[in-house]
Amino acid sequence: MSATATRPDESSANTLLKRFTAIPLKWRFVGFITLLAIAPFFTNNNYILRILGNVCMFSTLAVALNVVVGYAGLLDLGFVAFFGLGAYLYGLLSSPQLSALINACLGDRASAEFLFIVPGWFSLIVVALVSVGFGLSLGSPSLRLSGDYLAIVTLGFGLIFVQLSNTLDRVEFPGCQQPLNLTGGANGLLNIEPLRFFGFELQTVTHYFYALLIWMGIVLIAVHRLNQSRLGRAWRSMGEDALAAEIMGMPTRRLKLLAFATGSAISGVTGGIFAAWQGSAFPQNFSVDVLINMYAMMVLGGIGNLAGSVLGASVLSIIPELLRSPELIRMIFYVGLGAGLMLVKPRRNGLAVLIGVIVFGLIVKWIVGAAAPDLLSGPTLKVAAESISTAFERFSQQFGIFVQGWILLLKDSTLIGNLAFVVLVPALIALSRLKASRLKLIVTVPVLYLLAFVWESRLTAEPAVTRLLLVGSLLVVMMIFRPHGLLGQRKVEIA
Amino acid sequence: MALLEFTNVSKHFGGLQVIKDFSFEVQPGEIVSIIGPNGAGKTTVFNLITGIYAPDEGDIRLESKSIVGFEPHQICKLGIARTFQLLRLFLNMSVVENVMSAVYSRSHSNLAQIIFQTSGFKQEEDHIRRTAEAQLRFFGDALTSVFEQPVYSLPYADRRKVEIARAMATGPKILLLDEPAAGMNPNETLEITQLIGELRSRGGYTILLIEHDMQVVGGISDRVIALDYGEKIAEGRYQEVATNERVIEAYLGRKHNTT
Repeated sequence: MSATATRPDESSANTLLKRFTAIPLKWRFVGFITLLAIAPFFTNNNYILRILGNVCMFSTLAVALNVVVGYAGLLDLGFVAFFGLGAYLYGLLSSPQLSALINACLGDRASAEFLFIVPGWFSLIVVALVSVGFGLSLGSPSLRLSGDYLAIVTLGFGLIFVQLSNTLDRVEFPGCQQPLNLTGGANGLLNIEPLRFFGFELQTVTHYFYALLIWMGIVLIAVHRLNQSRLGRAWRSMGEDALAAEIMGMPTRRLKLLAFATGSAISGVTGGIFAAWQGSAFPQNFSVDVLINMYAMMVLGGIGNLAGSVLGASVLSIIPELLRSPELIRMIFYVGLGAGLMLVKPRRNGLAVLIGVIVFGLIVKWIVGAAAPDLLSGPTLKVAAESISTAFERFSQQFGIFVQGWILLLKDSTLIGNLAFVVLVPALIALSRLKASRLKLIVTVPVLYLLAFVWESRLTAEPAVTRLLLVGSLLVVMMIFRPHGLLGQRKVEIA
Repeated sequence: MALLEFTNVSKHFGGLQVIKDFSFEVQPGEIVSIIGPNGAGKTTVFNLITGIYAPDEGDIRLESKSIVGFEPHQICKLGIARTFQLLRLFLNMSVVENVMSAVYSRSHSNLAQIIFQTSGFKQEEDHIRRTAEAQLRFFGDALTSVFEQPVYSLPYADRRKVEIARAMATGPKILLLDEPAAGMNPNETLEITQLIGELRSRGGYTILLIEHDMQVVGGISDRVIALDYGEKIAEGRYQEVATNERVIEAYLGRKHNTT
């Protein structure tokens, strides 16, 4: 048995987590759903509602992925293709595309032009059935494979899907007079009908948010119930040891196919709702980075844990949006840096480094100002009273001015900023290899200053990149401290 | 009528003949042990019976019906359950779930019944849990306090018991135990020996045992079959087999003439 398995965790984050997990799952579920359900009463900001809709959508997808990967242990890297398949199929049926296809095929042989659109609810049913069919047919050649081999094959399927959605816009079909445009190619499928249930049309972001919320609720309940049944136990047994499961009477082939089919049906229908919401479907909506995002959500929350999947999906849907605001991103950076320094023991060392960095900055600024004053630019932030509305904005503004007081701001920082970045990475690695000593403390000061300089001169200028860098480093730090994910159970592989 | 018949079975892997024309039977209610040195092909016999491998020649019958060509889960459903020499428990699942998972082949709830939580499903789920707990209680109260704990937190000897309980939960006619005393100290070995005896006397199971430890074999077996290089070299009561010259030779090597 591995020694780490039973090691008690004593940090405060863990006690908080224990209190949280002590609440019965049912009440956590109800609480989460209610919290989301009342959100639209507090805001009519479409941007926020869109993020919440994404939370529901990705939670559903992460839960479906959990069935395949977390429970059944099938490393399926083609998962995103089913999401895309659902979206494209819905888009094909519930848009003018289908009648256009038939018209193009029949050409002048037809007596009249077709013009019909399949109602959305019916398309969703078709999507579910076809997704199950595709899940089974992609699952069956994968039955003989497991682990890495299965991952490679399914990744192939995923890539084929993106490729096909890009290229199936001019398909020569026997008996058709013109080449058919199935997927719209790189331009995507457009003019997709909104969903309509019993005469009620889902139009606004709020409507789709509720549709996705309800769908997520259904999926969560269904998957939770499956998990607590003979099927869930069999899936998890299979995920742990497929041969032992088979010998203990569980038909692993059928169970694998069932897991594939369940996962693809859920993600297919989610894709259909997504297409209706967006009103369009593009190949890049279903690319490998979306897949990686889904996996990150599942892994962050803890593989095999439903609440974890939802939490992971929420965190990874919300944080990148929070990081869009440059003021906030700066606050998070420096607060994170400061908090990291405060964790250093003994505490006075951390404080000394913090003060050291600021003093170091003031000296550097003074030297550069004396030697080459024309290189310096003035502070980019000024107290602009008229543009400030909230206390937070005022504070973040003040904070920015404070930071710029001791950080070198150059007129043209691109080249030197890039160079500094190149120096910074090996410097950070070297720093992490140094043993704790006075030398390390002294070296930390210029390295941290360099980090702050790179941050101010380059990273804030490229917010899109910085956002991903921050999310990435958050994940790295997270997985170092909790390798089994936020809510996951520590797994023991060999004991 | 024999419960399990193993008739003229041969199996080779590439050029290596692992089982050569091997035959034996197990009568209902018997405890039969297969002994032999490392690499004699003992575990291969189990793998052939449980359908992991198919025999090249010969036939394997359960209650006079051939089980050759069936998939492992079908063979399990027909009534053959086994344990593994190096335990293959579902380590991250709880003790009771491990055993409950093995009731799969005897339960029937489908997807819709599970999702809508029909009364039939709930009854069956209750039944599965009671079955699993009954199997675990067979081993006394030692395991009752750890029902909900993950298996990896259990000591080795308890894991053995959980694995046997899991095999029992499949509702077998015959239990195949692959070196149940492997890696155990003398006390634990004694306990497991008594336990195997109880599996027959209290549980009513027929048992086919692979064992290295002669103490275990001698204490409980009705019949012992010795295997060497895939061939049967002796069969009979423990005393006869243990004193058989070929068996001693297989275990200890040929006697040198010291002149």
